[in-house]
Amino acid sequence: MNSDHELKKGLGRQFGVGRSPIGRLARWLDTNLGGSGLLRAELRHIFPDNWAFFLGEIALFCFIILVATGVFLALFFSASQAPVIYQGSYQPLAGVEVSDAYNSVLQLSLDVRAGLLIRQVHHWAALVFVAAVFIHLLRMFLTAAYRRPRRINWLVGLLLLLLTAFNGLMGYSLPDDLLSGIGLRISYALTESIPLLGPTMASLLFGGEFPTSGIIARIYPVHIFLLPAAIAGLLGLHLGLLWLQRHTQFPGQGRSDRTMVGSPMVPAYALRSGGYFLLCAGVLTGFGAFLQINPVWLYGPYRPWDATTAAQPDWYMGWLEGAVRMFPGWDIQIGGLLIPAVFWPAVVLPGLIFTPLFVVPWADWLATRDDAFHNVLALPGQHPARTALAAGFVTFLSVLLVAGGNDVFAVAWGVSQPLLLRVLQVLVIVLPPLVALLTFVLVRGRARRWASSVR
Amino acid sequence: MSAPQGRPPRPPAGPPTWPVGLGLAATVGGSIGFAVAYIRDAGNAWLGGCLALALLGLGLALAFWGRDLAGDEVISGPYPVPPDDASGQTALANQLEDHASALTRRGFLFKALIGAVVVFALSQVVLLGSLGPWPGRSLFSTGWKKGRRLVTVEGEPVTREALATGGFLVAFPEGGEDDANSQVVLLHFVNGDFTPQPGRESWSPEDFVAYSRICTHAGCPVAQYEDVAQVLVCPCHQSTFDVLHGAAPVSGPAGRPLPQLPLAIDADGYLIAQSDFTVSVGPGFWDAT
Repeated sequence: MNSDHELKKGLGRQFGVGRSPIGRLARWLDTNLGGSGLLRAELRHIFPDNWAFFLGEIALFCFIILVATGVFLALFFSASQAPVIYQGSYQPLAGVEVSDAYNSVLQLSLDVRAGLLIRQVHHWAALVFVAAVFIHLLRMFLTAAYRRPRRINWLVGLLLLLLTAFNGLMGYSLPDDLLSGIGLRISYALTESIPLLGPTMASLLFGGEFPTSGIIARIYPVHIFLLPAAIAGLLGLHLGLLWLQRHTQFPGQGRSDRTMVGSPMVPAYALRSGGYFLLCAGVLTGFGAFLQINPVWLYGPYRPWDATTAAQPDWYMGWLEGAVRMFPGWDIQIGGLLIPAVFWPAVVLPGLIFTPLFVVPWADWLATRDDAFHNVLALPGQHPARTALAAGFVTFLSVLLVAGGNDVFAVAWGVSQPLLLRVLQVLVIVLPPLVALLTFVLVRGRARRWASSVR
Repeated sequence: MSAPQGRPPRPPAGPPTWPVGLGLAATVGGSIGFAVAYIRDAGNAWLGGCLALALLGLGLALAFWGRDLAGDEVISGPYPVPPDDASGQTALANQLEDHASALTRRGFLFKALIGAVVVFALSQVVLLGSLGPWPGRSLFSTGWKKGRRLVTVEGEPVTREALATGGFLVAFPEGGEDDANSQVVLLHFVNGDFTPQPGRESWSPEDFVAYSRICTHAGCPVAQYEDVAQVLVCPCHQSTFDVLHGAAPVSGPAGRPLPQLPLAIDADGYLIAQSDFTVSVGPGFWDAT
């Protein structure tokens, strides 16, 4: 009887309280997991509101969509370059010898129901993913969100940008179509250009002299496991730090570096974020339904003696492509040793771009002597130097991006390609400082007018 | 005194609920449409369009609902206390140093531990050797040899009759029709147009000239021939090579000319190579010739 009583008490503890199923579930969870106090506090976690805070969330949503669609694609993709005869429904390639990888991508695109939709959503999500990470970082920079105590998280964000862009490159290399093969050929050449180590590195990475028969099989685990795992881990760290340190906020009434104002996570914020996730998924699905992306059957299989005009990488590699196209053919011979011209735009330039970005939080500290704790963001309209730097940087990248498609733009604008190249070579040097200077003057003027009007 | 009679005043109307209802209706419609489109194999636009409608509908419903709730409730709270307090930091540092001293107080043993871990980590680098063959001399040679015939990609040997003046074709060494790094572009110039480079006078019999087809910039096939300007253009980065003057780069990012293959014509009229290329083909690397 006593034990019966104990059992009833236990059951009561598990299921007794709570008027609704949610209440009973909460009771059950607390009994079996514990930690109700902590959870109760976190349900009231405050999120400051601003449209700009959703840029990072879009990146997170894209990652979730990429994993989901990627698992579907992995069920059908074959990472082998063994020759097979194409026998699918795309008639122009009927009977053509292609690689197993290319064949499997055509099959899953054209002969697996819903396959094309999932593949196109995957590709669009990747394009938006890198864009969201980039714009999110730009917002961080413009509002100086990288200051104490978020210096480390700025580094995590930069690493995520590098990893997402690199994994995108790996992803569009997998289908073994003509464009992706040409991209790999160029990657091999860029690796080869590194002094002393280049040829060995290229040979080890690709498994021999290009073209090698095993490169797709090497890229595959990197694309679907290694890099996604690294991205997921860094995302966890990124969000964990965000959770512990709380979100930054724009200046406003009642807001300070010590006090935050916003909506509680449950229910408003969670409901809205769930909605935004679905909206993001809906928009990407709409893209996948109506906007063709990377139609590899039109490009044909990769054969090392075929090439195509208007060959562009995905947008996030466009700046690098532009730099490689624009840098003059200054091969340097020193005592019988060659430094190929592509070494500078392909290897040195990315280092020159990213190294300063990694030291931004500490450079800001040295420049402003501001080592205080910040939870309130700076306004871009009130900090001319920072805003000018961002404008110049974006201008620089934009000119590079245009140069990455200079053959297409030359035709579209009706100018000769060498002339356009020459103009862009001048612009890439002249335009960024000019835009930065103009931004500085404009923002400073506005900031002064604003300050005097407040006074 | 005129207290209102009858019903009490109605509470102020909340935010409109119709957007949420509309969104939910779109979700149901889109979901059913998606399933029907799938079963009927209605194509990518119907399938994706219906799925997008369903997702957007549900998303809108949640977002509107959440927005209305957020208007209800704005709360404020403290940020985590900044660890500005120096004594706290010092205490933490001391505590950690105490724990670490269990290791560090045995100075030599601790250094040995670090050393052993470093040696172990370095030893794992040898595994990189399994990744691929060392490049060796493979970058310095191609499939061309003395007397090897030029063939088309189909394996058809190229004779002097196969290519009229002004024409061009892509050729490979016989037996290596898929040898990417041996591909050449064979040009047959109108008599008198072409002047050989010094030292290469015997390489272009009957004005047949062969250049490596691998761009010296980043390795793409130099696939475009513009016969009016007499240049070869790489479609990847628009490096342009003057075929009348040793395929020297005249525009674009390439820094070195396309290597020229020494040609001969044998007694039966077949085009053959005199030797391999005299320099390494393709993109540059540190010890390229």
